[in-house]
Amino acid sequence: MKIAMIGWEYPPFKVGGLGTHCYGLTHGLADKNVHIDFYMPKLRQKIKSDNKNINIIEVGESEVYPYDRPDDKEIGGKFFDAVYRYNDLLVKRIKGKYDVIHCHDWLTMKAAIAVKEKLGIPLVLTIHSTEYDRSGWIYPNQWFIDIEREGMQKADRIIAVSEFTKRVIVEKYGIHPDKITVVHNAVYPIGEGEKRNLILFLGRLTIQKGPEFFLKTAKKVLEYEDARFVIAGIGDLLPRLIEQAVHLGISNKVIFTGKLTEEEVKHIYKISSIYVMPSVSEPFGITALEAISAGTPTIVSKSAGVSEVLKNCFKVDFWDTDEMANKIIALLRYDSLRDTMTQSSKREIQLFTWDRVAERTLQVYRGLV
Amino acid sequence: MPSICFYFEVHQPFRLNHFSVFNIGNTKDIHSTYFDKHLNQKIFEKVANKCYLPANNLLLELIRKYDGKFRISYSLTGTFVEYCENYLPELLDSFKELFKTGAVDLIDETYFHSLSGLYDELDEFEEQIKMHRQMIRRIFNYKPKVFRNTEAIYDNRIARKIADLGYKGILTEGAEKILGWRSPNFVYKSANANLKVLLRNYKLSDDVGFRFSARNWPGFPLTADKYANWMSNSYGDVINLFMDYETFGEHQWIETGIFEFLKHLPGEVLKHDSLDFATVSEAVERYNAVGDVDSPWAISWADEDRNVSTWLGNNMQIACFNELKYIGQKLKRKGDRDLLYIWRLLQTSDHLYYISTKGFEDGTVHAYFSPYDIPYDGFINYMNILQDLKEKAEKR
Repeated sequence: MKIAMIGWEYPPFKVGGLGTHCYGLTHGLADKNVHIDFYMPKLRQKIKSDNKNINIIEVGESEVYPYDRPDDKEIGGKFFDAVYRYNDLLVKRIKGKYDVIHCHDWLTMKAAIAVKEKLGIPLVLTIHSTEYDRSGWIYPNQWFIDIEREGMQKADRIIAVSEFTKRVIVEKYGIHPDKITVVHNAVYPIGEGEKRNLILFLGRLTIQKGPEFFLKTAKKVLEYEDARFVIAGIGDLLPRLIEQAVHLGISNKVIFTGKLTEEEVKHIYKISSIYVMPSVSEPFGITALEAISAGTPTIVSKSAGVSEVLKNCFKVDFWDTDEMANKIIALLRYDSLRDTMTQSSKREIQLFTWDRVAERTLQVYRGLV
Repeated sequence: MPSICFYFEVHQPFRLNHFSVFNIGNTKDIHSTYFDKHLNQKIFEKVANKCYLPANNLLLELIRKYDGKFRISYSLTGTFVEYCENYLPELLDSFKELFKTGAVDLIDETYFHSLSGLYDELDEFEEQIKMHRQMIRRIFNYKPKVFRNTEAIYDNRIARKIADLGYKGILTEGAEKILGWRSPNFVYKSANANLKVLLRNYKLSDDVGFRFSARNWPGFPLTADKYANWMSNSYGDVINLFMDYETFGEHQWIETGIFEFLKHLPGEVLKHDSLDFATVSEAVERYNAVGDVDSPWAISWADEDRNVSTWLGNNMQIACFNELKYIGQKLKRKGDRDLLYIWRLLQTSDHLYYISTKGFEDGTVHAYFSPYDIPYDGFINYMNILQDLKEKAEKR
């Protein structure tokens, strides 16, 4: 079987779960003897494939990242020019014999639809997030929604990363549920390090990820227990968060790391004692699996897809900072809780393999060819 | 001629309120802050309507119909009786009515359905048994001759204590660990005390308790005549069918036909000349012990493991259990009766059961009975309450 997969990012150049997913999925498929041509934007440094069944094809040149939701003022500006240009280039570039074309999220949907029509092959679309997620359900932008809906309608099959996302696709985009298969994400285990008294937030600093709830929680925890709170990542909320930490009087206990390399991310997972993911809207939340694989007990938002499948973690409402603090304080105080949860959750995530994701995805392909 | 010994555990715990770390040290009315009155009343009334009331009515009817040939035994925990007295006195009246027939035996327990039988000293265990004895005397004017510890937890030390307290017999699980190749269908004797031991036939008991409605079970559907036939083909003196009373109408819903099954069972059993019914006291009196059972380590009727790992299987449970014991020592020295009572309500084994993280098969059973989504939530809630009580124990 030969697949044309259109992506936007691929390790080591990635900003979010999409790149991680594409890497894990392509390797899982390659191990099952599926041949993949992976199309992605050309970057300054060349990306080399490390697998004979995966062929990376770089197209044009671009500087846009899919998860950075541009402010309204930029709409129609450089960002969209780049998106359109990449899509046009893709349509010209993709030729040859493929069984399926597989595309991820809205950025390359236009191209995927055009290629599907040009080559007359089925289109599989994986939805990692929707405009509703990225906007934190506040003023979602119709321009994105329209592109997403068209892609979903024209796709022969949709893969959603959670039941939660499937519901959004059905309810907000009017797609028939039978067309959607849920395939939960997986993780390459990171391994444990020596723990320090750090409580970690890691992700883009946007409304969607809920970092301000993390700071409010920190304030409450610090009234009872001592710890350092790490905010790892960059994003448009950064200045506001720094201000908030000062305002709450906890700036001496909060560390902003800025942008981290992949190695640094692994390191911070390894040395953190607790990972918190207070996302307002999170289709899946691969970072929860990464943290757990580094032996870090994890608290996830109930509005994260990962909470549907992961048993050995705390699940709280993202706005319920009292409850989040309650859990953090208990984890800091009771070794028995920390140890039991760490051990059970590490055992549990051994089930979340890319091989399983590839197998389920392959079943979707087989249903189409 | 095997005698069928039906025994039902009747118990309800006082479930806890959501209690966060921010509540510690800020509680005024302890009882209403610790315990979720609303939820508890709701669950109790639900179970009463689905199980306790209809099952009592049916059993009373059957005892009368078969003129006392159908005989059964119960243990009612102290917390269950408190529920009845608070919310549904007529349910207690109906148990009295059953007892008056003479075909119903009552068994003693620890009043709080606790794990006090596993504490380092057995003084608390003894006190809770005496509380239960007093309660049974007050309500039924009766002194039970047979004892059943919380979830059939049993070991040699418990056996000796129970013999010392004057009981003639004790109930526990027919576990291979103590039986070896031997059959549970005989009366045994404790290896280190003058006490007869009745052992649960877990296969036949679980056929009703767990498998009754399992469509993938070869025995499905289980009818009264089929079940009576199985029992008449059994060899031995006794067939001990021990189960939760909630089996009828709660674990097995009315739609499964469980009440129909129960309704026809006595008639089908009595068709066989080789079978009759006996209460636990009668079984202990009637049959001689055929051998000893030696249990240096605690067994129970819970989960596949049939030991105490259900309540003390992970570090969270052990941490709570140790805290509980420590608070008890403090409180006994202070002699504050109100706090002592609260501490005892917190000893109910269900609180530790909710914190179990045991594997998938058993875990699903736990999840069904637990008010918490995950055991970790159960731990935090219970531990926070214990911390609050500890502060009070250390302060006053």
